[in-house]
Amino acid sequence: MSSFALLFTLSFVVVTMALSRWQKLGLEKDIAISAVRAAVQLLAIGYVLLFVFRTEHPLLIILIIAIMITVASWNAGQRGKGLKGIHWRIALSIAITEIAMMALMIGLHIIQPTPQYIIPISGMTVGNAMIVAGLFLNQMKRELDASRGDIEALLALGATARQAIQPSLKRAVKSSMIPTIDGMKTVGLVQLPGMMTGMIVAGANPVEAVRYQILIMFSLTSAAAITSILLSLLTYMLWFTKESSLRR
Amino acid sequence: MHLQPILKTEQLAKLHPTGERPFLFSEVDIEVFPQNSIALVGASGQGKSTLLRMLARLEQADGGAMLLHGVPSGQWAPTEWRKRISYVPQAPVVLPTTVEDNLATVSKLHRTEFDRELARRCMEAVGLGHIGWSKNAAELSGGERQRLQLVRSLLLRAEIYLLDEVTSSLDTESKDMVERLLLHWCDSEGTAFIWITHDPEQASKIGKRTWQLAGGKLHEVSAPAAEDVK
Repeated sequence: MSSFALLFTLSFVVVTMALSRWQKLGLEKDIAISAVRAAVQLLAIGYVLLFVFRTEHPLLIILIIAIMITVASWNAGQRGKGLKGIHWRIALSIAITEIAMMALMIGLHIIQPTPQYIIPISGMTVGNAMIVAGLFLNQMKRELDASRGDIEALLALGATARQAIQPSLKRAVKSSMIPTIDGMKTVGLVQLPGMMTGMIVAGANPVEAVRYQILIMFSLTSAAAITSILLSLLTYMLWFTKESSLRR
Repeated sequence: MHLQPILKTEQLAKLHPTGERPFLFSEVDIEVFPQNSIALVGASGQGKSTLLRMLARLEQADGGAMLLHGVPSGQWAPTEWRKRISYVPQAPVVLPTTVEDNLATVSKLHRTEFDRELARRCMEAVGLGHIGWSKNAAELSGGERQRLQLVRSLLLRAEIYLLDEVTSSLDTESKDMVERLLLHWCDSEGTAFIWITHDPEQASKIGKRTWQLAGGKLHEVSAPAAEDVK
């Protein structure tokens, strides 16, 4: 894409701002700031990736993945405000997920251990894990409002905190995984995923692009399951007091 | 020989949630002995349910101490405490599964054998003998669920039951059946019950002792006046 063409993409931002102004949504400032941020962040990462791909230094790859995990866990942690230690728990869940995914992909020779593969796929894994973590925490909040009586009824029968909250955890894990599973059902029929589209636009063979997309879809599904289940194991005690009674 | 209380509290206190007065209740000193059936009465909003939930350690006290068999609550694991002192809420909570699964909850939680015969006898005693155990508990009426919840709790064989208006959804006949079962259980098993009730007739029928919670203080009364119960 030429620099001129890139400049013309701003017309989409202008359209959005005009619509916001017309409908009095009051989003113009947000849209402008977000658009500038997105452009700067993406251009910056483009140059960073160029540098990393050239040097191929493992420490740089680890540093980039660590930054991704930190930002992702901070962002998902906003859904669990008030829960002490939620950020490091999310970071640990995402980190374990990322390590497991990379170990499988590289160990089974599905991808080559080069930055060109590791960084983009890690970005998708961490990004999806972040969304799953946010969905899990949101659902748990709803569960605790709706199922408070059920949890306390089990506690009153001498159940441990884990036993009492298990049905809620199960529902929250399930609910956080549904978008990923649904995405798998409709991919190719309803939407052409970004990575595959990007490869095709960049001139790759569509069948080759589809193969990578299949890898991504499958790996994101297991990443969703690992993140969500790990998070449920690491966080369930946060909803209880030291006395094993539900927090208000 | 001096009889040891199962449960004893010393200066138990709870801060008022809205702060309209400093304490919801304070200086609550109680002793509960085996075979005690205690009616807990008082106007709405005095903290009766909160007190029972605190005794079950479902809610934190803001002051004072609780001792079970002379051992401070902090030395008991909450699960062990709640196996001995069990709270039964007013709003019936049944698991969205079969009646049998609900009845077997306690045995599943604590990996003990399900006493099917005892469950059957209790179900009959509370007027639920006709209910099929394969039926989904969520399909039962409010009164049936309230009784199922009670039977499920009884299978825990706790030493003290904290009953929060557990007959509020029942007709007179069912209420009588539940009262008879619990009083029989109290005499034969030595179990103690603390009942919250707003029904003066029920309070006098079930309460061998009566506590009245009013103005932030708990008093033991011999026979409550009808207006105190309501």
